[in-house]
Amino acid sequence: MSDALLVIEDYSGGFQSETGELMSVLHGVSYRLKTGVMTAVVGESGSGKSLVALSILGIQPPAFERSAGRMLFRGVDLFGLDDKAMRRVRGAEISMVFQDARAALNPVFTVGRQLADVWQLQHGGSRRAAMTQAIEALGRVSIPEPDRRARQYPHEFSGGMAQRAMIAMASLICRPSLLILDEPTTGLDVTIQSDIMELIVELSHTRGLTTCLITHDLGVVAEICQEVVVMNAGRVVETGSAEAIFTRPSDGYTQRLLSASQLVEAA
Amino acid sequence: MPPLGKMILRRLLWVFPVAFGVVTMTFFMARVLNGDPTELYAPPEATDALRAEIRARLGLADPLPIQFINYLWALLHFDFGISFTTGQSVASDLWDRLPATLELGFVGLGLGIAFGIPLGVLAAVHRERWPDFLVRGTTLSGMALPQFWVGLVLISIFFVDLRWLPGPVGRLPIGIALPPKVTGFLLVDTLLAGKPDLWWLALKQIALPALTLGFSSAAPIARVTRSAMAEAMQSDYIRTAIAMGHSRRVVWFRYSLRNALLPVVTLIGGVAGHIFAGAVLLESIFAWPGLGQYALQAIERSDFAALQGFVIYASLLYVLAFLLVDLLYMFIDPRIRT
Amino acid sequence: MSQAVMTDAKSAASRRRRRPRSYWALRIGLGLLAFYVAVALISFVWTPYDPLTPGVGDGYDAPSWAFPLGTDRLGADMLSRLMVGARYDLGIAFAAVSIALTVGTFIGVLSGYHGGALDTVVMRGVEIFQAFPGLLFAMLVVQAVGAGIVNVILVLSFVGIPDYLRLARAEIQAKKTWQYAEAARMTGNLPWRVAFRHLLPNSVGPLLAFTSINAAFSALVTASLGFLGLGLGPNVPEWGNMIARGQDGVMTGQWWVSFFPGLAILGLTGGLYLLGDALADLTDPRRRR
Repeated sequence: MSDALLVIEDYSGGFQSETGELMSVLHGVSYRLKTGVMTAVVGESGSGKSLVALSILGIQPPAFERSAGRMLFRGVDLFGLDDKAMRRVRGAEISMVFQDARAALNPVFTVGRQLADVWQLQHGGSRRAAMTQAIEALGRVSIPEPDRRARQYPHEFSGGMAQRAMIAMASLICRPSLLILDEPTTGLDVTIQSDIMELIVELSHTRGLTTCLITHDLGVVAEICQEVVVMNAGRVVETGSAEAIFTRPSDGYTQRLLSASQLVEAA
Repeated sequence: MPPLGKMILRRLLWVFPVAFGVVTMTFFMARVLNGDPTELYAPPEATDALRAEIRARLGLADPLPIQFINYLWALLHFDFGISFTTGQSVASDLWDRLPATLELGFVGLGLGIAFGIPLGVLAAVHRERWPDFLVRGTTLSGMALPQFWVGLVLISIFFVDLRWLPGPVGRLPIGIALPPKVTGFLLVDTLLAGKPDLWWLALKQIALPALTLGFSSAAPIARVTRSAMAEAMQSDYIRTAIAMGHSRRVVWFRYSLRNALLPVVTLIGGVAGHIFAGAVLLESIFAWPGLGQYALQAIERSDFAALQGFVIYASLLYVLAFLLVDLLYMFIDPRIRT
Repeated sequence: MSQAVMTDAKSAASRRRRRPRSYWALRIGLGLLAFYVAVALISFVWTPYDPLTPGVGDGYDAPSWAFPLGTDRLGADMLSRLMVGARYDLGIAFAAVSIALTVGTFIGVLSGYHGGALDTVVMRGVEIFQAFPGLLFAMLVVQAVGAGIVNVILVLSFVGIPDYLRLARAEIQAKKTWQYAEAARMTGNLPWRVAFRHLLPNSVGPLLAFTSINAAFSALVTASLGFLGLGLGPNVPEWGNMIARGQDGVMTGQWWVSFFPGLAILGLTGGLYLLGDALADLTDPRRRR
């Protein structure tokens, strides 16, 4: 059994209500991300799966307050790190791909520039070398004419293409051990979705990444993930191997989720 | 023609209908509001015949459409008529006084930007902490106070009390001759004429009005900078930059500031339009011989032609200011270009 | 920064102390406004001295116990004059804003809802009108039609209408296609009804926020007109006018005649701006709740 790269332990917290009290939205969330494995975190909107993911990198909404829990990355509690230390983790050890790629890229800078900036940040070197790397990365994720595209702005990219650029930034420009993807294909056309997923799987394998895929699309999960975490209303309701979850779901919510997506095999 | 070129051309062409509208409106306003200026030109004992002659001379005897055509024709030749007060052509009056207003405007706006943007950045970076409250309080006063009052307070402190700066007598102390006019800007012409001591005098005279202008304009600039940066900081793309490990300094100054530039530029355009259209009250307090003072005198003395000329100038200046802002926008925001 | 990246949940008490800024802005703004309204109302019943009769003091008395804010050149008490002045600056601003709000919103809703030729004509007209510097326009008109409170109010409303128009129009245009508008139409409501009774009430927030700021602007323009001696007549204790009449005093060291009216304006306009800011925050549909 492989070690867990990231262990989330009893994570709880919430938002301040108008009256000043804490309205809890996460209740004792605990799960593990095993090294080298692709884990899916599934749940409906509002289950808190994105919130937990954002917390890993410390980029959760500022209004969110933690009431308990630890986030152990290679044994170190991320919550105990100061800003400087956290910055060293971001991109270099853990990186993230967000849902709406075109919104996640800065509209007034070219895509190439944004990738090159991250390259220089993570690996140093000259601006020119960084730009070469950026173009190469864009080509690596199957963006045609990468040198021309690198000079374009995010709004000139299609949704799928922008997501590829995002993936390039998070997994090629950055060299993390853990890659988190928050609903990377939601909102994209179905054919594009499968292309993107293929790309993600390929990169994960080539680089030996530990991957955390947050999604509400169970079809995708069934195909490519080895481990599954099921969340509902701020709680983890079930965890286990993909096979186990899909064939022998033990929690009522999991069962309902599966039947709703018509993936349950005939008993 | 490339799409950007077409966009620019379209934006430029759009100036003309608006300018035409402004000019037409001024025509009708002048006639509706100021009635018959014949009385101003006619001596009290004038006969009706004399009055009729004066009216004809002023071009008021013709039917309205003819008057309008004459008016437009004259405008195209930059002929705004003769000023009742100065006896000279309004166009030359405006031209003479323009440098004073422009110089004050540039220095004042320059101060406003130089203070406003950094203060806005400061407030945004230290959101909800004391620098932010200090900046917000100061800018609130800057916007809530009438400019003429601020000017008077500054005069009271720096001239009456401290005697550090000279009194509000205009661009140079009384009795000092102007340097030969090259640009019309004293701060430039004095140096060109090789008279540094004159330059120093001009600087001291412009200090207070420019500071007043700077204070008033820094206020909205700081506010918009602050809110634009704060808003940028909450955006998804800034979240990405942080997620990739960029330092706070890079995130603030390389990214957010650049994103915040758009609304700030728009605002500065509006402020500049206001300033260069002639700060009427400010020039009045500081005895500044610019267009604002000209307008005020024209109003007080019912100087028909001068008023008309000034209003056209001021309105067209606004149009120009927003045109420049729009064009600048096209360069700053890549999304607009496609 | 060396704080921990994650915010730990605080105790309930410390959480209560960390109020959003709009909380304070709202209360200070409303408080100031209430204060000024109170002062204006009280001035109808009582002032320390008669503000219009000079000679209670000697002329240019410095602030003292007898005259807390000094006297002006003619010896009239500044405090009393300021109190009475509140009637004008406040009253004019409120009246002008009310008219501009009503007329501007009405036209804006119509224009935004109907679109088409009407909208184009209205918008071109607004753009041309707004190319005119507002203060200048007010000055011109007031000079031409003569002094008087009603004239000033009307001119100010006129200057303010375009902004309300644009705002209302933008709101209506944004909401025209919303489902409840469709629903209202389907149940047989006349277009006008849909626009006014269904769409408009949801746009109240931004309009209200703008009203406050517009009121501040109107007060400033009133003061500017008063400063120039336009609009209300020379002896009226309007604050801008008072500042102008104190100008000579400033040069000779009697600073208080011009100073205190400015503070009065600051309090009113500042309070209105704060209020407008707070209302904008509170009604912002993008608030993270």
